[in-house]
Amino acid sequence: MRIHLQVRPILAALRSHRTAVALLVLEIALTMAVLGNLVFIVYGTIQRSHVPTGVVESDIGLIQSIGVIGESNPGTVAGNLATLRSAPGVADSAYGGLPLWWSNRKSLFLDPSLQHPAAQAYEFQGSQHLSTTLGMHVVRGRNFSDGDLPDVMDVFMKKTTAPLPALLTQALAQRLYPGGGALGRILYDGRYAFRVIGIVDHLRGEITGRADDDEALLVEYRVGAQDMGGGYLVRSRPGQLPQALKAAAAALQKANPGHVENKVLTMAELRENYFRSDLAAGRMLVAIMLILLVVTALGVSGLASFWVQQRRRQIGMRRALGATRRDILLYFQAENFLIVSGGVLLGVAFAYGLNLFLMHRFELAHLPVHYLVAGAIALWLLGQLAVLGPALRAAAVPPVVATRSV
Amino acid sequence: MFGYYLDLALRSLRRHKVLGVLMMLAIALGIGASVTMLAVLHNLSGNPLPGRSDVLFHPQVDPRPADLPGASEEPPDDLAYADAVNLYRLGIAPRRTVMSANHLPTRRDAPDSPLAMYTDRATTADFFAMFGVPFLYGSAWSAQDDASHAQVVVLSRAMNQKLFGGGNSVGENLVIATKTFRVAGVIGDWNPQPRFYDIDDGAFAEPEQMYLPFFTWLDLPQDYGYGPMNCWGSDPDAGDHDPKAPTCTWAQFWVELDTPAQVDGYRSALAQYSRQQRQLGRFQRAPNVRLRGLLDWLDHKHVIPVTVRMQTWIAFGVLLICLVNTVGLMVAKFLRKSGEIGVRRALGASRRDVFAQCLVEAGVVGVAGGLLGLPLAWLGLWMVRQQPVSFAASAHLDPSMLGAALALAVAAALGAGLWPAWRASCIAPALQVKSL
Repeated sequence: MRIHLQVRPILAALRSHRTAVALLVLEIALTMAVLGNLVFIVYGTIQRSHVPTGVVESDIGLIQSIGVIGESNPGTVAGNLATLRSAPGVADSAYGGLPLWWSNRKSLFLDPSLQHPAAQAYEFQGSQHLSTTLGMHVVRGRNFSDGDLPDVMDVFMKKTTAPLPALLTQALAQRLYPGGGALGRILYDGRYAFRVIGIVDHLRGEITGRADDDEALLVEYRVGAQDMGGGYLVRSRPGQLPQALKAAAAALQKANPGHVENKVLTMAELRENYFRSDLAAGRMLVAIMLILLVVTALGVSGLASFWVQQRRRQIGMRRALGATRRDILLYFQAENFLIVSGGVLLGVAFAYGLNLFLMHRFELAHLPVHYLVAGAIALWLLGQLAVLGPALRAAAVPPVVATRSV
Repeated sequence: MFGYYLDLALRSLRRHKVLGVLMMLAIALGIGASVTMLAVLHNLSGNPLPGRSDVLFHPQVDPRPADLPGASEEPPDDLAYADAVNLYRLGIAPRRTVMSANHLPTRRDAPDSPLAMYTDRATTADFFAMFGVPFLYGSAWSAQDDASHAQVVVLSRAMNQKLFGGGNSVGENLVIATKTFRVAGVIGDWNPQPRFYDIDDGAFAEPEQMYLPFFTWLDLPQDYGYGPMNCWGSDPDAGDHDPKAPTCTWAQFWVELDTPAQVDGYRSALAQYSRQQRQLGRFQRAPNVRLRGLLDWLDHKHVIPVTVRMQTWIAFGVLLICLVNTVGLMVAKFLRKSGEIGVRRALGASRRDVFAQCLVEAGVVGVAGGLLGLPLAWLGLWMVRQQPVSFAASAHLDPSMLGAALALAVAAALGAGLWPAWRASCIAPALQVKSL
């Protein structure tokens, strides 16, 4: 028997269980609405946790070395950078900011009157070699050269009036100069002026999921005999980070008895800390999704097994009249498919409704269509699985039942 | 009659075991999920200091310039240095405390003790009595110590454990930011959640590892930040190395006021202070003061994390779906009994009787589902506690939540049973009896 011939009798049979069917459709629709949005949220979080910052994360480590004020310390920044670089396994080192750890978010202006901010950008400042330690890819213009760099004390004391050479990310260059031609232009952050010397592909200060995460600016200054506490960055030779960072931290501490090493972290650890609570919330949502799926499956199979029990006699009659076991099995599966389809159709409307609510209250993005398609497929599969047990029991009803009175 | 209905309900459930178990499981899962989130929400929005919360108040004044673009009507949360000192010296509240927090390089005053950064709270003597902080050893420092900038320190239990192996360290010395401090006391476990007295770093942050006298702390050779600062004007970094910058607020301030008269008195004193500061030219705005009680303050600051609020909404969505599921199963179940109900009606039972009977059955399912849901909620909270987020550690089920969970389960099941029971009671007896 072909399946489409069964649709009409199935619908006729369902009509006499209108209430229960309507409730099941409602349940599936609500499940679909919640499920679609939850998958969207969780998947978004997971995707976000894999967005690269643009630096060579696998090889970068951070040593936060805090200078104790009032304690004498023989170490100097330039000396420290040399100490770090001579540690085994270390390829490069710098003093300065690192994505997901420290960068200033500043307003940038195109004219010195500072009237209209043209962008908000992450500002990375650091010593010579910051861009090479981070592993920046310069796609246009050039990287810093030793002759470029202003002295750190001139920068800190605001003694320098010449614009500081700066690298921009492509995204920031595009925002500031949509017509192109960023190289050589001057911009301002209210405290300093910058001259664009090069464009790098990516550098994200934070990973919030917003489009402007990748809008960043990087400045280097020349450090020397000062005693500076703060973030010392180490770039190891590929694959040698754990040993290299450990050796570098020990060497740095030895050279700076007046400093406290508060944090020694690899970039991977920084990333893990950064996303810890988001991923934890994601796990909670996954648990809720599982509960939802179980409950829906329970509802479907509960009602189906109830109907099978109720229709034993009719099933026996059909069997007696020549229907095969397969026909009975298919009947219940088709019935389930029809009900779930009804739920899915209603669920699309509910899902968008819930999405609007979440967008309004929790700044969620718009729900893309493919999440709904995936949700529909998941619910169809779930329905078929849930109905399989009762349907098999129905198929096992012997024809002889028809001859017995209930 | 109730006993009889109960008996009938149990019989009916026993007859359709699978269906009964499915209904209970659905309710249990819904209750488990929603009670878990409710308990988390309840803990997060709970009273951090029961018994003391209604005498603690958070004063605010407004030192901002009159024409600050984008400024809200609400005065800053914290005080600028000058206001912190002035209000501290005002001395009309029975108790008051001014504070901030940062971290300082610290070691034991012993030759080979390693230097490390420890978080500290700089505060004044009344802090401990006002907030009911328990002491393991020693005691708080005195107001005299505050006035004389004494170098004394109170340790948390954890820090005492780390530095002194948990023993009585009162009288021992620490070197904090190169100065020598004497341990005055060690406090016991104390971790009010939300951490109401300073929510600049999030309302569910850990308490600091040690406590120092505020004015001694300001004197220290230090530049490790002075707690989160809010500065206005042309230089947003004005306070970076200068806690006394007039355009930056950063100090938390709390007062204890025991009677409504004291509260009113303090409120007018704040206004009076603002007027006086305006005459002196420090303030530009008309008196704009706030004096919120502890719970009002937490309410005003919306301390509950947005993810928790969203998860609570979702958990109740799950409960709703579970209930729709239960309604569907109950409709099917009660209609299955049409014949039985027809006979009862024919024998003289009123619709009310049938309705009551069905409702008792729904109630039994609800109680069973609720009882099953409680261990699930307990499991859920255990899972929440495993999460590496700051507020998770405090998630637990207290007796009031336990009762609420059970009540919720029964109410949910009864609610779910209402309509199916009503439908069952509408069954026309004649038709059913005929078809038997």
